[in-house]
Amino acid sequence: MSVHTNRSEWVTTTAMSWRVMVQRFSFVLFLAFSVGLLVIGRSNPAAIEHVRSRVMDGLAPTLSLLSRPMAMAESFTGRVQSYRSLLEENVRLRSENDNLVRWQNAALAMANENKELRGLLHYKAEPSLAYITARVIADTGGAYVRSLVVTAGSVDGVREGMAAMTGEGLVGRVVEVGDWTSRVLLITDMNSRIPVMVTDTGDHAILTGDNEAQPKLLYLPQDADVKVGARVMTSGHGGIFPPNLPVGVVTSLDHGEITVTPMAAFGRINQIRLVDFNLAAGAVNPMTATVHAESSTRR
Amino acid sequence: MIAGAFQKLGQTSRQFLPALLTILYILVSVLIWPLPFVGAVAPSLGLVAVYYWSVHRPDLYRVPVVFLLGMLNDIVHFLPLGLSAFVFVGVHQLLHAQRRFFVGQTFYVLWFGFGLIALLSSFVNWTLLSLIDGRAVTVVPVVMQYLLTVAIFPLAAWVLIRVQRAFLMQG
Repeated sequence: MSVHTNRSEWVTTTAMSWRVMVQRFSFVLFLAFSVGLLVIGRSNPAAIEHVRSRVMDGLAPTLSLLSRPMAMAESFTGRVQSYRSLLEENVRLRSENDNLVRWQNAALAMANENKELRGLLHYKAEPSLAYITARVIADTGGAYVRSLVVTAGSVDGVREGMAAMTGEGLVGRVVEVGDWTSRVLLITDMNSRIPVMVTDTGDHAILTGDNEAQPKLLYLPQDADVKVGARVMTSGHGGIFPPNLPVGVVTSLDHGEITVTPMAAFGRINQIRLVDFNLAAGAVNPMTATVHAESSTRR
Repeated sequence: MIAGAFQKLGQTSRQFLPALLTILYILVSVLIWPLPFVGAVAPSLGLVAVYYWSVHRPDLYRVPVVFLLGMLNDIVHFLPLGLSAFVFVGVHQLLHAQRRFFVGQTFYVLWFGFGLIALLSSFVNWTLLSLIDGRAVTVVPVVMQYLLTVAIFPLAAWVLIRVQRAFLMQG
């Protein structure tokens, strides 16, 4: 009897230690796999990129479905808020509209003048920029990476390096393209470097993200005199982006650290426009693009 | 007979619930929430799920599964592939070793334990990423994410407790 108990005990303890061993072994094995993957990702990023964009393509329908109610709730709260501030909003919009009409007249006059001068110089006009509009289905909003996933991929003509914009301004750059989805690295991400120009002074700099809400201006010329409120636009240097896309406004100068507040409202971006820039290797901003269209219809 | 087959099917599919809920949490953590303060930094919900199921149903949550879930988290969050896999597998093993401490404890102890685990995993994430990038990753967003994750734990864990009580009690 006692032999029997000992035996069954022995069996259970062996089984227990066997299970513990398997658990430990698989733990060490998969920890080693993880490290291996990290090393491969470092030495051969292209292979990982391929896998990653495939998986995101596969997840897109689910993410898209999950993000629908969020977008609906967002538009609902937005509507409630706009009802609440309807009166003041109306007053503000009226004055803004007056202002914009004046700007429109100025722009039209300038466009005409520009056309005449270009005619005099035999200047070859650049084609306008093309846009691909896409819905945002994911915002990693993480502590380590700032990126978005949008529902447009190589099928829609998206290519790596395209600039991503909202109506207000630049938000980032396409870094990975799947068939139906693409990944946009935001300008606030730690690995984002955008060649920019401060419009008041014409100083060139690099807009550098650091995972916080406001990117910084680096590599300004020694004698640069940047002031708070100065507008920052893409310079087009390096050929990554078209020039003259609005980026942000200088909001603080603190011990040589120049902070830029982006035009785009991060964290609530639902729609994005990807700018096809190789089509138009030159300086056309959305303003002039629409003016072109209008002046051609007048003819 | 048919009822029996359905019951069998139900039982089998229940075994995938922990993994499926973790996938759901990972996906939900990248949605754009219509709330004023969420957005800049999102809580890492995937870690909550890994913690919860590693403590409560490790039998349905084996190391290979945790590893794959970690890879998914890396892909969705655009992290270097293998980073979350490393952290998730590490957390899983740590909880496996210390399981006696967590099982049957009050919710506050569970929450406190999560606070420690999340702190540790934030630190490991930060260190590995800084090593990979070759420079120190900005600390403030990491701290914010940690606090947000710990703050959202009761709600996120409550959902998992409900699911476990409803579907996984007898298994």
